[in-house]
Amino acid sequence: MDKKINKRNKNINKTLNGGLEAPKKIKILVTIIPRKKVDVFTAILESYQANLQIVEYGRGTTPPEISKYLPHMDPEKAIIISIVTEDKVKHILEKMENYYFKIKNAAGIAFSIPIESIIGVKIYKFLANITEENVWTNIV
Amino acid sequence: MNEYSLILCIVNSGFADEVMVAAREKGATGGTVFSGRGTVREEAENLFGITVHPEKDIVMIIVKNEIKDNILKNLYEKVGLNSDGHGIAFSLPVEEVAGLMSDDLKKKIKQSEQNN
Repeated sequence: MDKKINKRNKNINKTLNGGLEAPKKIKILVTIIPRKKVDVFTAILESYQANLQIVEYGRGTTPPEISKYLPHMDPEKAIIISIVTEDKVKHILEKMENYYFKIKNAAGIAFSIPIESIIGVKIYKFLANITEENVWTNIV
Repeated sequence: MNEYSLILCIVNSGFADEVMVAAREKGATGGTVFSGRGTVREEAENLFGITVHPEKDIVMIIVKNEIKDNILKNLYEKVGLNSDGHGIAFSLPVEEVAGLMSDDLKKKIKQSEQNN
């Protein structure tokens, strides 16, 4: 009985010393890129564990006084709406700005919008990519 | 404090260009247009005497917060519910952005406009 109590107390101490984690916040990441590069960017975002991505197709409205400086800019656009965890957003955007948007004919724009609330634990786990290995409820 | 906002303007199909004209008048640069379908309760349509055209253009524009309110006001006046565009516009906060026009390009455009 003492052994059980000691083990329980050990786990509680582990918890109090930082074992518990708050749920990760998730954000909407909107990426607008040339239509022809949509497969490239959806694969890039999947590599960052974006489990849900919605793709819409549209067109850009760059005015002529700007488009003459960007002759290779394709007006046909793809809009990728993905959900990623907050801790990854900054890194993704830095990579986009410094690397991926500099690929030939892949110039685009990306931005994040905060999500205020979500309902459904399963849906949250799916969107935040919380697997059995890193599930935050699996403590004590 | 967020520096940028996302303006979304939903108008009847074919009025996206008017939205961009109204937005540019107040300092917006570019936007992205895609299509959608509007839905409305039949009961509301009958009650308010409004017919909603289902085909919509949705315009997304990233703007600095300083000019957001002026743009929204201009959209309301030029393509709002009282116009043929029957548009609604609203803004969402944007926390981080990547890929906006570089300062060099902005300078080039400004110089070119001054030369013209």
